Amino acid sequence: MTDNRRPARIHRFRPSMITPTDDAIPDYMNLMGMMFSMCSLMLKIKWCAWIAVFAALVGFANSRTSDDAKQVLSSFMLSISAVVVTYMQNPAPMTIPFLQ
Amino acid sequence: MRLVISLVLIFLCLTYSIAKKNKDEDFSEFDDFDHDEFDVETPTVTGATPLPSKTQVNKPEKNDNEEPVQTESSNTRNDEVTIDDDDDESMFDDEEFEASDTFASSSSSTPDLKIAEVPANLTGNRWEAYQCEAVMLIALLAYLINFLIGRTKNARLATIVYRSQRDLLDRNFSLVGDDGQTTNTQTDDQIKDMHKESDHLYILWCSGRASIESMLIELRLIKRQCAFNSVAAIIKSINDTIVYTIDFNKDDMETFVFCLAKKRSAAKLHRDMNDLSQFCVERKSADKKGLSSNYQILSEIGEASSAIIDSTKVADFTDKFPDALEYIYVSDQYTGMKSQNGEQQSSSPPPTTSGSAAQQQDALNASERSVRRVLIVAFNITAQNGRSLQVTSETIGSDYLRLVLHLIEFVSAFRFKSKELKNKAIKNRQRIEEQFLKSVNLQRQEQAQIRREDKRRAEKEKVMQSDDAELQRKWEEKEHKREMKRRTPKMKQMKMSFLTGTHRFLDPKCNEVLDLFYECIEKKSRAIGACDGLLAQLYRCKKEDLETHRKINKSESEQKRRDQAIARDPIIQKKLEILKRLQDKQKGESTSS
Repeated sequence: MTDNRRPARIHRFRPSMITPTDDAIPDYMNLMGMMFSMCSLMLKIKWCAWIAVFAALVGFANSRTSDDAKQVLSSFMLSISAVVVTYMQNPAPMTIPFLQ
Repeated sequence: MRLVISLVLIFLCLTYSIAKKNKDEDFSEFDDFDHDEFDVETPTVTGATPLPSKTQVNKPEKNDNEEPVQTESSNTRNDEVTIDDDDDESMFDDEEFEASDTFASSSSSTPDLKIAEVPANLTGNRWEAYQCEAVMLIALLAYLINFLIGRTKNARLATIVYRSQRDLLDRNFSLVGDDGQTTNTQTDDQIKDMHKESDHLYILWCSGRASIESMLIELRLIKRQCAFNSVAAIIKSINDTIVYTIDFNKDDMETFVFCLAKKRSAAKLHRDMNDLSQFCVERKSADKKGLSSNYQILSEIGEASSAIIDSTKVADFTDKFPDALEYIYVSDQYTGMKSQNGEQQSSSPPPTTSGSAAQQQDALNASERSVRRVLIVAFNITAQNGRSLQVTSETIGSDYLRLVLHLIEFVSAFRFKSKELKNKAIKNRQRIEEQFLKSVNLQRQEQAQIRREDKRRAEKEKVMQSDDAELQRKWEEKEHKREMKRRTPKMKQMKMSFLTGTHRFLDPKCNEVLDLFYECIEKKSRAIGACDGLLAQLYRCKKEDLETHRKINKSESEQKRRDQAIARDPIIQKKLEILKRLQDKQKGESTSS
């Protein structure tokens, strides 16, 4: 078996060589998280805050390793603060509008 | 990751403690209120309040603390009042105390009490009321647990696939696994795992082999870490895939475009890939070449497709592993997907993800399509023969890699047998190149036009703002001239060097024609073809005139030259002098005689 290895023909890896995939889920989830957090803070709607937490979690799960962790973390912080503030303002249990 | 989970837990604890504190604060005012209300009126009521509260604790009801207290206290008050009344009646006259009777009767009727609905969280077991919150928390926890499990599963799968191919890769490549950042690539240790690009994408870069530049192995797994994606994958029946992308050097590969793919991928690739849509016209079924009818072929040159399928024994592979091969894509004009490039046709080295004006400008200035010469092979990783996915992955990795290496050898060795095919390929590429250049030119022209418009607008604003009437008038005149020039239809360029009334020919007949021509111009306002006959005559006249002028000039110039030559020559000058003296002498002698 001939050795096909050629150390002289080594090329270094470039991140641009990875096939780009148009995966927009992390971005959408971030946006959704921020929107629902704002909604819950302004309008004092509890289920919005919970959905924001969910969106932040889904965005985190779908994020790439090369993505900035600050973005995901800030999304989390915002959604959790939305939950906390909404419950502080009105400690009553959540009511889902279309179920009651 | 752990930091995030710990932060989440801290916040939840904070929420709980704040809620509890609020609850305590909320009810403190009600306790005070009870005391205040009933201390002043009757001393017995204060004694009665602990009793009702105790009963409240024993019998959880929807009533508030204060309401049963109030009702019971009012009842006790009524009882006591009636008792008092009985005592009073014996002591006082009826007439004197009618008012007190009416007062007693009115106070004996129970007042209408509106029992407010107490929120569920303030009565009984307060936490039971938070049902929706509990559901949400359980859902979040379930998602989190699924995330951890999915991520671990994906990581394990990546490790298994890598381990199954590691030895074969080490034997064929001198560099296996590079993240592009370490300074030293010469290490003897084998890398432990593929590079994790994200929880569902693992990559491995291999380089240093004969006849190719590099190979990138991408392990694209189902997003098991996201519950929604896992469900979607089950519904859409998406598999884990492994994609080998091999880059060739310019000289190592013959010029052709070919794709063998499953029907669903063939349609997508034909639609999305630039080069497949430009070079391959139609999709043919692969059953004529010995493969199953599930596969389709897109080929620029027929000979290449037959050669690939016959010599690399793809048919045997598909028989052994049905549904494993997703597509084989060979191209020397690979420029990526249509949707990502948009107008510019550049591929992934120079990155295409930017939309900035400067980079688009650079791409246009380059006026060259940056193409890659690639071989892309994609396989599905599915559980086969009833075994689990992980067990299957242990064995198939090396089989897939062997087929890929076989294909590499073929593509690097394959050359067209006849020159005609080579010429056909070259012609196709030239055609596409021309189209590309045309589009680039068009874009450049549009951009130049836009720039011109902007410049003119800026000038106009400057002129308008300058408040100089003269300048404005001049600019408006210039604009008007430009407009007229643009609007008048383009005429034949008349190469006339005559000015009205100045140029005269030697021949008087030509002069007459010239005058007629000027009259014609004035009358017919320079429409195309109106004075062409006269113009033709004038050209002839001019030609003749030039000839005569040249002859005259020639004779004159000859004379001049001769004179100059004589003047320069000293011998001739002397001779002329002698001649002159002789002539003078002769004249003198003739006058004297």
